[in-house]
Amino acid sequence: MENNPPPPNPSLLGSIILRLRERLGVNGNVSITRLQRRRAFVSMFTRHLSRLIAVLLVLGYFWLLALPSSFLGRWVYIDENALQPGQVSTYWNWGDVHAADKYLEQLEYLRDSNATSDQRAHFLMSEFSKLGLSSATQQYAFQSNMDYRNIAGTNTYAVLASPRGPRSEAIVISASWLSRTGEGDGTLNLRGVSTVLALARFLRNYSLWAKDLIFVISDGHLDGMHAWLNVYHGAQLSNLDAQPLELASGVIWTALNIDYPGHSFSHLGLFFEGLNGRLPNQDLMNCVQHIARGTGGVPVTVYDHLEWQDPAASPSELSFLPSPLRHSPEIKDFAHRAKTIARHIGYQARGRASGVHGLYHQFRIDAITVFAVPATGPHGFHALGRIVESSLRTMNNLLERLHASFFFFILTTPDRFMKIGSYLPSAILVSIAMMFRGLRCWVDARWCTDPPPIKKSDQSPQTNTSFTARSRPVLPAMIVMLLTHLLGVVLFFATRSSWFLNDQKLYAPALALATLTVPLALSQIPYPHDSKIAPFWLVLKAFNLCFASTVISIITVLNFSLAALLAVALGLPLTLSSPSTSKLLSWLKCLLYVFLASGWLFLYEETREAIWNWEILSVWFAPFVCLIYTPLVIQAAIVCTWTYP
Amino acid sequence: MKLTLGWFLLFSTLFNNGYGWSSEIFSESLKIAPLPDGRVSTTFSFNTVLEGALPRDPRSLTSQDASQHYVLFPLTLGQILREYAVTELHLSLNAGNWNYERWGYPEEKGVGTGAELLAWMGVEGSESVDDRWKGLRNALAGLFCASLGSLDEQRTTSPDRAFFPQGMLPDWSGNVTHQLRHASLPSEHVCTENLTPFLKLLPCKSLSGISSLLNPHRVFDADWHGMGVHVSWLGAAGVQVRLTFQSVMDPLRYSRNTSRNWSLRSLFGHGIERNCPAASSSVIEVTLPDSEHPSLTPQPQTSSGSKATYDVLTAEKTLDVAMQWQDGFQYPSILNNSLPVSVTRTLRGFTQASGKLSLVLKNRRSTPQELIYLETMPWFIQFYLHTLQTRIDGHLRDDIVSHMSYNAAVAHSRPTTFQAELRLPPNSVTQLTLDVDKAFLRYTEHPPDAQRGWDLPPAVLIPLNPADPINSNNSHTYNEYRLGEPIYTSTLLVDVATPDFSMPYNVIIFTCSLVAFIFGSVFNLLTRKFVVLHLDANQQNN
Repeated sequence: MENNPPPPNPSLLGSIILRLRERLGVNGNVSITRLQRRRAFVSMFTRHLSRLIAVLLVLGYFWLLALPSSFLGRWVYIDENALQPGQVSTYWNWGDVHAADKYLEQLEYLRDSNATSDQRAHFLMSEFSKLGLSSATQQYAFQSNMDYRNIAGTNTYAVLASPRGPRSEAIVISASWLSRTGEGDGTLNLRGVSTVLALARFLRNYSLWAKDLIFVISDGHLDGMHAWLNVYHGAQLSNLDAQPLELASGVIWTALNIDYPGHSFSHLGLFFEGLNGRLPNQDLMNCVQHIARGTGGVPVTVYDHLEWQDPAASPSELSFLPSPLRHSPEIKDFAHRAKTIARHIGYQARGRASGVHGLYHQFRIDAITVFAVPATGPHGFHALGRIVESSLRTMNNLLERLHASFFFFILTTPDRFMKIGSYLPSAILVSIAMMFRGLRCWVDARWCTDPPPIKKSDQSPQTNTSFTARSRPVLPAMIVMLLTHLLGVVLFFATRSSWFLNDQKLYAPALALATLTVPLALSQIPYPHDSKIAPFWLVLKAFNLCFASTVISIITVLNFSLAALLAVALGLPLTLSSPSTSKLLSWLKCLLYVFLASGWLFLYEETREAIWNWEILSVWFAPFVCLIYTPLVIQAAIVCTWTYP
Repeated sequence: MKLTLGWFLLFSTLFNNGYGWSSEIFSESLKIAPLPDGRVSTTFSFNTVLEGALPRDPRSLTSQDASQHYVLFPLTLGQILREYAVTELHLSLNAGNWNYERWGYPEEKGVGTGAELLAWMGVEGSESVDDRWKGLRNALAGLFCASLGSLDEQRTTSPDRAFFPQGMLPDWSGNVTHQLRHASLPSEHVCTENLTPFLKLLPCKSLSGISSLLNPHRVFDADWHGMGVHVSWLGAAGVQVRLTFQSVMDPLRYSRNTSRNWSLRSLFGHGIERNCPAASSSVIEVTLPDSEHPSLTPQPQTSSGSKATYDVLTAEKTLDVAMQWQDGFQYPSILNNSLPVSVTRTLRGFTQASGKLSLVLKNRRSTPQELIYLETMPWFIQFYLHTLQTRIDGHLRDDIVSHMSYNAAVAHSRPTTFQAELRLPPNSVTQLTLDVDKAFLRYTEHPPDAQRGWDLPPAVLIPLNPADPINSNNSHTYNEYRLGEPIYTSTLLVDVATPDFSMPYNVIIFTCSLVAFIFGSVFNLLTRKFVVLHLDANQQNN
């Protein structure tokens, strides 16, 4: 072995490097030193891998818990310069409020006379026609296995053609007949509808609209607008039977949905989550809240959560904390933000739209709902009209679609948000930990550290342990994984069938039991105990963890809330799944995992909602849970059915 | 001033006649028609005829042209016409979408949104038609401050079944044939910078006569406005230049929905103060509605049937024509008009890769209606003709479309031209669909504000008058005499796949990292020397 002679380097830099090399003990062959260093690093990494995984998991979970912290957010700002929110004088005045009141009277009469959808639609259409707008109605009906909801109705819409505009761009102002209160529990949105009518009457007096204004009064809560939007964009839905739209307009870039269920309102709530976890461009929201505060003088909240400082807010829910902590403003702030984030995750992870606006996002339309939080005062039509007028002027300024990367955010308070960089690592850290654990299992399955005593290890006297290679049963593990996912498919079709939906209380336990039989049945298959073949469960666990980790990291950028939920639900359980020493213990563990996998079957209302969302709105949450989540946990359950010999 | 101009005119007329030059006649008119939906349509028309003149023979382009001494004829426009030997020219610059359903047919029929340029030019000669077309559009772009220069070969078509010359085409006694060039630019925004050069072409600018009503503050607040330049050869009568300005105004909007009364003062800001001395005739024509009888002030000089006429030259100044309605206004629930068919064109589909062009045609009449359908599309919208489907009430029909002609697009250079004849059954709703693909553009091809998308030109539908059974065999040339007035559909906006131009830095970082990663690994492998090292032996040595 030849040693590299030290280079004759008289310069100062050279001598420093030389001294450093000496200090580091680099005086032998450079390549050998490098190899040794690499080997030392790998052995250190493998020795401390379990600790590293633990650290990553703890860090990830703590990060998730720290999301409401004030350190992770920043103030909102408006990125698109063309928007110029709140730069205009508003002309909406008490005459228009009076007009809105008049419309409200007529709508209340319709409500009291139990008018049908058709009668309402024709009233609305004639009102729009009286204003000189082209208007039309659209009947629609959805077919669904779930017959307990009447999913049919009539939408009304009117188009105000922009003066001197080419009719190729449009803004939508919409109100659904049912308010989003209680996620569409039947509260009517009469004031929202009359606001739209009065706005139509008012806005046609101005020649400054560069885009068409489309006024849509959709029937029902979500179904009406879903039908209208799908037909408008020519999307084919197999279960939708809707009339074609008679009036045409241009490409819709932005939309504003107005929801005003109460008598008056104290705050404007912003709702923004769309189907399948899509979010609108944050600029739109920032503009509306900027205008609401500046032009309208109305405080803004996220959802209908009032800040704890607000006298109208409900008393603190933090009764479990000791008194000094409970009254600390920091804790209250944290709790308020946590509540907002939890609600956001609730909508986004399940792919639910938090209002009618959520249906627009799938067509690349940025839309939000402006929700007038019901209260006894002080605001009403006057403030709302001015805010909507000014917001429409802002949207009218747009020269191109909102496009800056403002689609990834978590809004903690109306004026603070978290960028993608400050929340994404939490779920990613958990997924990295799972990937490391999975790879560790994969390596462990190959190399056995306990050599059989017969074998002589004469090659390397220096090392204490020696490794023997085992073959890994890749194909059986893959087949078992495939089987569990097929089980997921069966489960999915079973849950959306009408017999399941008609008698959930009977079939949910049956399906859960059927799920339980799969790991138990698989554990009964005799498996050859051979020291040359890796244990089956270890390979399955390796695949299970690697697959789960990949799923989580991909989902993070599509739907962070779902990824965070998966990180919580899968991270620890899948990492900790292992065989036990006794048969009883392993069966108990298996039962626990199966419950984690299929426990959602017993959330009757939740399951129905998820299936309704899939059937009508094509929300992917129900198939995702059945096809990805449940099989992944069942694979962990199969791992647990094993016993150590 | 008036006196000076008068003497000048007299002198120049004498001079011209004395030397055998053709004489020039200028006349102006304004047509005002109240529309059923409470709006008012106004059409200005300024007509200059160069008597006895002949368009330039393209074969004479190499030789020196005769000098052009015009008095009333717009010199700048005349020079362009002579320079590029243009026989007939139609330029329209419109803002807004003409609502045929509510407003019926327009007085001037070229109402497609944006800019549209049509020209017929003789083929023979040293310079090709395309070279002269290029020169023409650039010269007109300079003259009218419009982006006509971007009507390049990517937008130029020659739809010779849909458009026919309005004047005559000379053959200069040498069998010179003519070719049509047509291009439209839907994204052109028409505003005051286009009106100023337009007014400069008029003999009285906007100082006197009817043209003094063209007040940019008011006409650009209209619901629709458009200007047009039409040059045609009338045979022995000479070359005619007709400058038109059309607008649809809304008195209801001006009066906050109280009344639809209008006057020249309420529409244009002032009445007519004085005559244009160059005008041989100056007429305001008001269309009176059939059913109601609003009062007109001042009393019209002649009134026949549904038309009331004012001769501005003899009328008392200040002339402020006004129409007063007795009763309040209710928007009519059903607007009936004389339109043979109504058309809705939309581009369905929300992906950036493909879509579906849909055309819904309603024939309200109880007789079958034939139409010529012209669709021109930039190359990045690719048609699939085999997906052309026609449905009536949801049932597929294959007897609607006939006589198709299709010029396929050439990527990055030539647009698609699709012409066909449609035959709509009586009282029917026909839906025509066509699948389209959206091409992937080079990043340099995107316009500024790329996320807006691309404007697509309007389609044109020309109803054909009922065929004369005697000579219907020679269909192509015969159609020329059957062509009705064209109907322009609205323009479309299309999203194509667009890179995020606002974040080039991210793109640079990503691509550079990738390149560095690949290059680094490859370079490392290529330059590394592989040797066998005995790790443990070395440890012993140490």
